[in-house]
Amino acid sequence: MSSGTSLYDQIAELRARYPDPRSAILPALQLAQAEHGGWLPEEALRGVADAMDVTPAYCLSIASFYDMFHTEPVGRHVVEVCTNVSCALSGAQGVVEAFERELGIHAGETTGDGNVTLRTVECLGGCGWATVVALNNRHRLHVRAGDVYGIVKELGE
Amino acid sequence: MTPGGDAGAGVRHTADTVTVTIDDREIEVAKGTGLVETAAEAGIEIPVFCYEPRLGPPVGACRMCLVEIEGLPKLQAGCTLTAQEGMVVRTAATSERAAHGQQGTLEFILVNHPLDCPVCDKGGECPLQDLTFRYGPGSTRMRFPKLTFDKPIPVSPLIALDRERCILCYRCTRFSSDVAEDGQLIARNRGAYSEIATFGEDPYRAPFSGNVIELCPVGALTSTQYRFEARPWEITDVPTVCGLCPAGCNIRATTREGAIKRVQSRNHPEVDGGWICDKGRFTFPAVRADDRVREPLARGELGLAPVSWDAALDRAEELLRGARGRIVTALSGSETTEIAYGLGVLVRRGLHAHSAVLHESTSSALDAFRTPLSTIGAAELVVVVGDDEILDRAPAVDLWIRRARRNGAEIITIGARGTMRTAPGGAAEALQELLASRSALGKRLRASEHAVLIWSGAGGGGGARLAEVADALGFAAKPGCGAFHLPATPNARGVAEAWAAAADEDEVEVEGIGLLVVSGDEAASDPAVRALAEKADAVLAITMFHSLVVGWADLVLPATAALEREGTSMNLEGRVQRLRRAVTPPVPDELAWLAKLAGRFDVALSPYPAVVFEQLSERLYGGLELGQLGEQAPLPARAPYIAPAPAHTDAQTAHLDAVEGHFVGTLRLLRYTPLFSGPEVERVAELQFQRPEREVALAAGDADRRGIATGDMVTLRSNGTSVELRARVDRKLVEGVARIAEEHAADLHLDVEVVRV
Amino acid sequence: MSTATEIVFGGTHGGALTELADYEAVGGMTALRRAREMTPNEIIEELNASNLRGRGGAFFPTGRKWSFVPTPEQNPRPHYLVVNADESEPGTFKDREILLRVPLRFLEGCLIAARAIQSQHVVVYIRGEYEREWEVLVSALEQMRKAKLLGDVTIVVHRGAGAYICGEETALLESLEGKRGQPRTKPPFPAIAGLYASPTAVNNVESIATVPPIIEMGGAEYAKLGRPDASTGTRVFSLSGNVAHPGNYELPHGFPLKDLIFEVGGGIPGGRTLKAVIPGGSSTAILTAAEAEKVTLDYDTLAAAGTAIGSAAVIAIDDRCCIVQLGVRISQFYEHESCGKCTPCRVGTRWTTQILKRIESGEGTHADLDLLIDVGEKVNGTCLCPLGDTAMIAIASYVAKFRDEFVAHVEEGGCPFHGTSSLEGILAPTDVHAAHVGPAEITRPLEVVA
Ligand SMILES: Cc1cc2nc3c(=O)[nH]c(=O)nc-3n(C[C@H](O)[C@H](O)[C@H](O)COP(=O)(O)O)c2cc1C
Ligand code: SF4
Ligand code: FES
Repeated sequence: MSSGTSLYDQIAELRARYPDPRSAILPALQLAQAEHGGWLPEEALRGVADAMDVTPAYCLSIASFYDMFHTEPVGRHVVEVCTNVSCALSGAQGVVEAFERELGIHAGETTGDGNVTLRTVECLGGCGWATVVALNNRHRLHVRAGDVYGIVKELGE
Repeated sequence: MTPGGDAGAGVRHTADTVTVTIDDREIEVAKGTGLVETAAEAGIEIPVFCYEPRLGPPVGACRMCLVEIEGLPKLQAGCTLTAQEGMVVRTAATSERAAHGQQGTLEFILVNHPLDCPVCDKGGECPLQDLTFRYGPGSTRMRFPKLTFDKPIPVSPLIALDRERCILCYRCTRFSSDVAEDGQLIARNRGAYSEIATFGEDPYRAPFSGNVIELCPVGALTSTQYRFEARPWEITDVPTVCGLCPAGCNIRATTREGAIKRVQSRNHPEVDGGWICDKGRFTFPAVRADDRVREPLARGELGLAPVSWDAALDRAEELLRGARGRIVTALSGSETTEIAYGLGVLVRRGLHAHSAVLHESTSSALDAFRTPLSTIGAAELVVVVGDDEILDRAPAVDLWIRRARRNGAEIITIGARGTMRTAPGGAAEALQELLASRSALGKRLRASEHAVLIWSGAGGGGGARLAEVADALGFAAKPGCGAFHLPATPNARGVAEAWAAAADEDEVEVEGIGLLVVSGDEAASDPAVRALAEKADAVLAITMFHSLVVGWADLVLPATAALEREGTSMNLEGRVQRLRRAVTPPVPDELAWLAKLAGRFDVALSPYPAVVFEQLSERLYGGLELGQLGEQAPLPARAPYIAPAPAHTDAQTAHLDAVEGHFVGTLRLLRYTPLFSGPEVERVAELQFQRPEREVALAAGDADRRGIATGDMVTLRSNGTSVELRARVDRKLVEGVARIAEEHAADLHLDVEVVRV
Repeated sequence: MSTATEIVFGGTHGGALTELADYEAVGGMTALRRAREMTPNEIIEELNASNLRGRGGAFFPTGRKWSFVPTPEQNPRPHYLVVNADESEPGTFKDREILLRVPLRFLEGCLIAARAIQSQHVVVYIRGEYEREWEVLVSALEQMRKAKLLGDVTIVVHRGAGAYICGEETALLESLEGKRGQPRTKPPFPAIAGLYASPTAVNNVESIATVPPIIEMGGAEYAKLGRPDASTGTRVFSLSGNVAHPGNYELPHGFPLKDLIFEVGGGIPGGRTLKAVIPGGSSTAILTAAEAEKVTLDYDTLAAAGTAIGSAAVIAIDDRCCIVQLGVRISQFYEHESCGKCTPCRVGTRWTTQILKRIESGEGTHADLDLLIDVGEKVNGTCLCPLGDTAMIAIASYVAKFRDEFVAHVEEGGCPFHGTSSLEGILAPTDVHAAHVGPAEITRPLEVVA
């Protein structure tokens, strides 16, 4: 697994940055997730464990605690709509439903072609610019239901 | 210092005390005492779930221990506090708020806890059940579907997990990460969906896994061996000592209707700190093995066949007389001291046959540095010498060393897989050199008041060599310093000393072996003993399992298991501990028929262990009485140091072999006996997953030179014989070595050629 | 009360100062130079004079906090300054704008603070969702490194991975140490044993970004801003919800809440009327419109009004909102974010959501309403950290202030808004993701992709 070895070296470099190497586990998992198409399959966690000198079980205990790590496959694009109070008061649900219509899936699902995963998320810290939608972690502000068609087009097939 | 931070054995308490008031009662305790313990001193209960000092600092997770502290606005988790001068505490008994909070906690815990107590193994010995009864709400107001899971989940072949019973106290995961440090059992997910798990479908495969069963305060983690086997009110617990390794952990055998149902730890703070390994915990079903010898077997035309006891004893007498003193006794080192003595009395006094073989030599020289194992936990510097993993020889010691490291100690290991790598057998020399050459380590060892030396390997004169070192370092005068030899067998010293005590005349050399007496299954499965059998005219075997000896014994007399024995055993500290009979064996005691046989040779031997111990104690333990051993046997005082006989050169020669072997391109075979091995372990199906892979460990360099990577199949050849194994690159291993578990090394010789297939 | 002044955002004129040259052109880094001529104690004295209080929510005096950190002589272990940029409190988005517009002032503040506690190690823990903010911060850091402004101090920017609880200072430290982000029991407090069991000061982004101006103008001058009591200085208020002009506004403490909403924020759009205000982030008690009319935005006034200034996140709620639905949604948030370590929070937040959902659906009874209150009282005050406590305080306030609305759901057997509520049908992560993390799957959490 060539990417595995390079991952190993990259993580070794990350570990060196901290007084306690274990502090590098979040960056290490972020790296691994990026290398594995946005989620952490079992072999990814085993790879991180090897490089971090911890058990795969430990990596799982961390990965499953944080929302931004996915232990199940996700689409090539991940669309996350904030539905916390401020966005909700400003029509977030309309935006969610627009995405569900355009993509033909429910929130929490991935399109059949594996292109897009749609999720609702907690406050993204853009309450004054509601509704906030994260496209592959890039935030779109002031999104309205009417903008959704265009966004979905951008994501393409 | 937080309670548990360094609790239990090894704590260095400050003398000064503080006075606190709990529920209007004034209590004086040592400064730094945990509030839970402080209350307990005054007979006041602060109920707990997650609090367990042996797991390290408190975490304050379950909130069962809520108390009111005068001057603090919020309720506090009592388990996280230590007694402070003038502290005024109110428990649920005298504080409305504390009671209210505690009821809340219990109600919350019960929200997702099923009411299946009647079919739960924990029922009747369940802290949750008890505390609910005492503090809990009468009925639940939870009218929503509880979280439910498929049950039970096999965490391993040994442990089942009922997730819906779990109250998420995190005791089990804390044990896994903070005590055994195996990192296998974890909490995954977050919040209400947090759950205990292993990685994917990997089992919880670690030497101490079973302890989580005892730690679980509810019936979430249960033993697959014990599931639905008994109810608490039908069982009897017998306090005894584990007979499977020289640590001699104190255990409790739970029996029901004359059968052993489970083995649990029985905390001896100086020996085991309340933990036992999976070998000690899960091996007991071996006493019910199919090939258990239940009656004497004698060789006839049709091979071994059952015979009456009278016939058997006649045959035994015949064999013993026939040998005319040309008898060799192969001891296992797992006999009780009394049985070994009985055997000695029979053959040495009755037949004047003195030659015996023991797996390893032993020495009493270390008694001058005697100290409880718990001192390791409080040490600042620990030096381990030898090629064997501590885990494989005496698992309990491994946990003490981990504890020491957590408390900031430096651990230096000298051996084939050490922090200081040496060629096999070279560790001892390396240590000598270290100390000779006024090295930094030598200086620190001399200066330290809390240093420990441990010998974990073959050779070394059974600790004699180590004793010389300890003496040179002045350990004899330092109570905080100690030196331990880890024998390969559970009662090596007791057996050797009993054998010696049984002599009443000088030894006389004899030619050839008329009769080989094989005492115990370990001896019977030892290749060296098999070799002796080849040379012997006849073989008398005393074993639990007949498949080991069918081929080559002329007479087989049934042996009993440690859990079936009354008697004593000496652990690696030199502590004499008492074995108590948990269940009646299916066969008579060894001593019973040994006494009969002895009678036929006009030597007196009592059939009663207690009487035999008395006689022995006169000669060996200065008249120590069985009663004095009690539930928790004391450690005898240090003995004056007596310089042992000069070194015989087993270590060095082994060392030379290694070097030479390296030059000629072959690797030096390094056999090791894994923790999970031996006749009894082999007979317990659910333990098999713990046994080592069929693999050979190679140093990275040696692997590279041979183009071998982890996972490759390799052939190992040494004149004539060859085996095929999976290769594993071991970054800790010294070069020039092929490390293989005894059971996979077959009859390979010292120097092996390793090639990829 | 002094008038509006820009302190944290000073010199930006509504724009951003992301280039070192531009920042220095408006006097940037002068505070740093001055601070380097001051002793650590003198810096702390200035902070005490300014009476700057933590902008992260706890409102603890910053100078005092720093003075608790032992000196290197008292504790030789390395000292750490950990900056809390995990900003995840619903309604709060101020730190984000500070990082985007004045990253250099923020870093300048880090260096001054590090000097005050005699630390050479600064870690900024930024929430993982702030990707652009992270890039902007890293580039600002690069500029300062090139300009040799860091001296002997190393600044590490560490990205979180999505967990509100990691904003709680001890959970943050656990997360930083590579563990699950679960709070620690206190004592020991971070100042004594924080990151890697070493002396540590944990401060919020805004607190740190306010330090350079304080050193520049002097603590006493800064203290003249805002109110003379506990609430000196300015605050970056995050205004969101049903207002015409939501956004971040830096205003002096003591600014009238109604002016923020109706003047600065342009009032309630669409001809709606103000129904309620959450004044300090989702963790604070709600105010009715009538109450909101009366209060000013400062620690003491809001405390007296039975709520808190919290993270100064003001959420305006108009008359279309069903408060029971608000309760469900807020409760779902805390259920989702509870770390799962302590029993009352882990179980209580989930149970509360269940009760609220039943009431919202019209199947609730008066007994459920009492149960809701009682569960809240049992959770509040028994948790390991404030998450569970504040969740219950917020929800209890909805029932207290809008009880008739809860009663209506029970008695009419449904939502009195009949589907017209602005929060109607809002989908929370717990509605959607429960299946993924919940009881559904058993032994194998991962499917390896084909
Ligand atoms: C559940 C919870 C979440 C918190 N989230 C944040 C946060 O996102 N940012 C922050 O600065 N402080 C947060 N805090 C407060 C921190 O614990 C801590 O008080 C603060 O960072 C100290 O910095 P300050 O004194 O400068 O305010 C949170 C507290 C709790 C209990
Ligand atoms: S399984 Fe038992 S020990 Fe482990 S967290 Fe659950 S209740 Fe505690
Ligand atoms: S026993 Fe104190 S919190 Fe669990």
